[in-house]
Amino acid sequence: MTELVHAHDEHESTGIENRKLGMWAFLSSEFLFFGALISNYLLYSNRPFADSVVPAEVYDIPFTSVSSFVLLMSSLTMVLAHNALTRHDQNATGTWLMATAMLGALFLGGQVYEFRTFIVHDGLKLTSNPAASAFFFLTGFHGTHVAIGVIMLLSLWGMSRRVGSLSERHGMNLELVGLYWHFVDIIWIVIFTVVYLLSTPV
Amino acid sequence: MTATATRPSSTIFRRPKSTEGFWGWVTTVDHKKIGILYGYAAFFFFIIGGIEALILRIQLSAPDNTFITAGEYNALFTMHGTTMIFLFVMPMSAAFMNYLLPLMIGARDVAFPRMNALSWWIFVFGGIFLYSTYLFSSPEPPVGLTTIAGNLDPSELGWLARGPDGGWFCYQPNCGPFYTPGHAMDFWALGLQILGLASLISSINFIVTVFNMRARGMRLLRMPVFVWMSMVVAFLLLFSLPIIAIALFMVVFDRQFGSLFFAAQAGGDPILWQHLFWLFGHPEVYILILPAMGIVSEVLPVFSRKPLFGYAAIVFAGAAIAFLGFGVWAHHMFSSGITPVAQAAFGISTMTIAVPTGVKIFNWMGTMWMGKIRFKTPMLFAIGFLAMFTIGGLSGVTHSIVPSDWQQTDTYYIVAHFHYVLFGGSIFGIFAGLYYWFPKFTGRVMSERLGKVHFWLQFIGFNLTFAPMHWLGLQGMIRRTWQYPEEAGYGPWNMVVSAGAFIIAISIAVFIYNWVVSKRRGAPSGLDPWDARTVEWTIPNPTPEYNFAKVPVIHSLDDFWHRKYDEDDDGRAVRREDADETIRTLEEEGRNPATPIHLPAPSYFPVMMAAGVPTIFYGFIFHTSIAGKALIVIGALLSISALIGWGMEPLEEPAEHH
Amino acid sequence: MTEHSTDHPTPALYVKIAVLLAVLTAIEVALYYVNRAIELGVFNFVLLLALALLKFLIVIGWYMHLRYEKKMLSRFFATGFVIAMFCYGIVLGTFGVLAITRS
Repeated sequence: MTELVHAHDEHESTGIENRKLGMWAFLSSEFLFFGALISNYLLYSNRPFADSVVPAEVYDIPFTSVSSFVLLMSSLTMVLAHNALTRHDQNATGTWLMATAMLGALFLGGQVYEFRTFIVHDGLKLTSNPAASAFFFLTGFHGTHVAIGVIMLLSLWGMSRRVGSLSERHGMNLELVGLYWHFVDIIWIVIFTVVYLLSTPV
Repeated sequence: MTATATRPSSTIFRRPKSTEGFWGWVTTVDHKKIGILYGYAAFFFFIIGGIEALILRIQLSAPDNTFITAGEYNALFTMHGTTMIFLFVMPMSAAFMNYLLPLMIGARDVAFPRMNALSWWIFVFGGIFLYSTYLFSSPEPPVGLTTIAGNLDPSELGWLARGPDGGWFCYQPNCGPFYTPGHAMDFWALGLQILGLASLISSINFIVTVFNMRARGMRLLRMPVFVWMSMVVAFLLLFSLPIIAIALFMVVFDRQFGSLFFAAQAGGDPILWQHLFWLFGHPEVYILILPAMGIVSEVLPVFSRKPLFGYAAIVFAGAAIAFLGFGVWAHHMFSSGITPVAQAAFGISTMTIAVPTGVKIFNWMGTMWMGKIRFKTPMLFAIGFLAMFTIGGLSGVTHSIVPSDWQQTDTYYIVAHFHYVLFGGSIFGIFAGLYYWFPKFTGRVMSERLGKVHFWLQFIGFNLTFAPMHWLGLQGMIRRTWQYPEEAGYGPWNMVVSAGAFIIAISIAVFIYNWVVSKRRGAPSGLDPWDARTVEWTIPNPTPEYNFAKVPVIHSLDDFWHRKYDEDDDGRAVRREDADETIRTLEEEGRNPATPIHLPAPSYFPVMMAAGVPTIFYGFIFHTSIAGKALIVIGALLSISALIGWGMEPLEEPAEHH
Repeated sequence: MTEHSTDHPTPALYVKIAVLLAVLTAIEVALYYVNRAIELGVFNFVLLLALALLKFLIVIGWYMHLRYEKKMLSRFFATGFVIAMFCYGIVLGTFGVLAITRS
């Protein structure tokens, strides 16, 4: 019987799976993306804007500290989900995936609350001054990344429930989503320190 | 014997089956078809960009001319530049990379075939989105002013003025909401955003392909230079596109949502835009030239019957150019008010980039030196590239001297420089590639006679058009302005320039005719029409669907050449006695794979997902209306559902039993 | 064949790392308040960045598994970071934000 040859024989010349290599390349480019956002904020947060509220004046550090903690813990639940998958524990995988998604959603909820407080109570809006624009722009894009991550996590969770058992292919997907999720977390690590903790009003 | 690549038979999700016909092309994931699609789309935009240039040149052919209005002039040069860069040179390079990269490394496809299709569709939709500005925009004067551009009444501006008119670089706050209200600039910014996304996705695909899908024995330093340059370009894209993405979002947010990034009166900094734009913009010009350098590195050795001189040096010089390219961007800002320290630093870094560039030029010359040159059309264009690019590079070096650049900035001297490197460089290189690889695409050769007519007309026309711009610029002729006064005396040379532009146009017409006729009735090429050196020439022409009947094992650089030629004691190539038989065997085996080859199946999801992107962006532009908001939601749903379907669809379908 | 990195941290190690990250965050926040009370100047800046960098590297190394992967991935990943630091560092420098060129 003739053996079928697959055009897409996975015989990676580097020994690193295609999609994994692709994801790491993509994440590397995201440094340039968030670097621009953070630099933009650093530029404008360094300037005085008379008669206008700037973000550094209205930060609620305790609140944001709790959000940061929540996001950090979601990275823990993410690796536990991956670990459960390697042990072929379907239930635990699903549980930890859902936990990660929930923590991510909680973080987003915190962001929404924070933005509302700034806009409604403190009068800090996207249109207030360039520093405010830069703040909302940066945290808004980070939040969007978190939201996309949550959607992907929920999709994985859904797949694990429906399909019944995450196959090796889906397992790679979980690992990829995990990488993305941790990246979003490390960006927040930088933002929390550089934007919140190191910001002093000029 | 019949070709035995199997096609999927399953109809789960009603997956497309056919690879022929209209739907075959719409749902294709075959890198060769995608390459051809890129090529035709890019060439179409080349014609449009060329027509825009011709209109500009008619306007500038005489002083104080009023062939078009000032507003139309501004929109035309903006669209000309944007089109040529983003809709012609980049996609045409992508066309070559798509078609050839897998062939040159001994692979059957790229790493992510469906993502490849996605890139093309996003590009096409992006180009359409950008040009749809002409349907949806109308020029408006800035708030508080009643006239724009040359004190003309808006109603007199003409239909062509509806396009974005801030130049391809869209400086802020000139192109912000206050000075440029209306939708055109949003179409520009979001259009570029869409195109950038396509290129980013492509770059990830190519990086993984080159790293992971090389045939056995195809070590990195055995890869053709074109593959190396493509990989370097992919890295440049990967790291420069996110920067412009943020910058463009900032523009859109300023214009649509009232943010104040570049609003000077509110404390926004216009120089920030320049930094962000040129941080992208400078690597971008290397993205534009490196593929052509790769093509020329393939063509010169074949038609000199000599190996590429200093292969490793050329490869590392290419990588060095890319790396240094991230350190020179502010040389576009020498007259923008940056500090003397910054000017000095960037002047020096710009001069340094001339070094690896010079290394390449000398190595190309070294390749030709003492070679047995065959002056076929691809070679003519490659030599033309060498000469024209060198001229452009030399004028570039004069820009690196800061006080000199202050005189040259915003004059036609700069226009001369970048057209010599982009047209004389990239476009000549592209034509070299089109003539050289035409047999691979079609199985035929293009007419040499017509090719030579094309080359000489283009060469003469090109130099007539752009050489005078050097001295016109040094005499003080300012760029980006629709008229020049009679008293300045620029008239006669401008007439020459405009005539040259029309000669170029005629040469392109000759090329198009040659392409069409040769495709239909050109002489069959056979497997190895040029006596070439690299792996892509070891398979039949036109390329079979599965590329390689048997994936090759590579033993050296220029592996194919070494299968045909030995070296005598003086180092000269001696054709082996079994060379012709080798070629015959390759042809025979290439058409008849021993085992069935299962290829990735076509898919609807790339085009579906791509369609969501412009939908969302149309929604952004009209977001104040219900229709706009609806479009955002519809577009998002379209893309997300396509993504989910894609995630559940296997790359290949289960094979049917015979 | 795709190589699967065989070294995987245990859940226990993951939890320990999470605790470490939480502690580091707590130190950062404490430092913020200390700085509010007594001006620490540059020391504050350096220490906070160092703590952030530590958290950054810990998540990358263990949670993203980069410590156990092939070196190529680390190099890939680092390249973007290096280019970003270089380019944006210079841009901010020309604006005087990094106080290097500020007269």
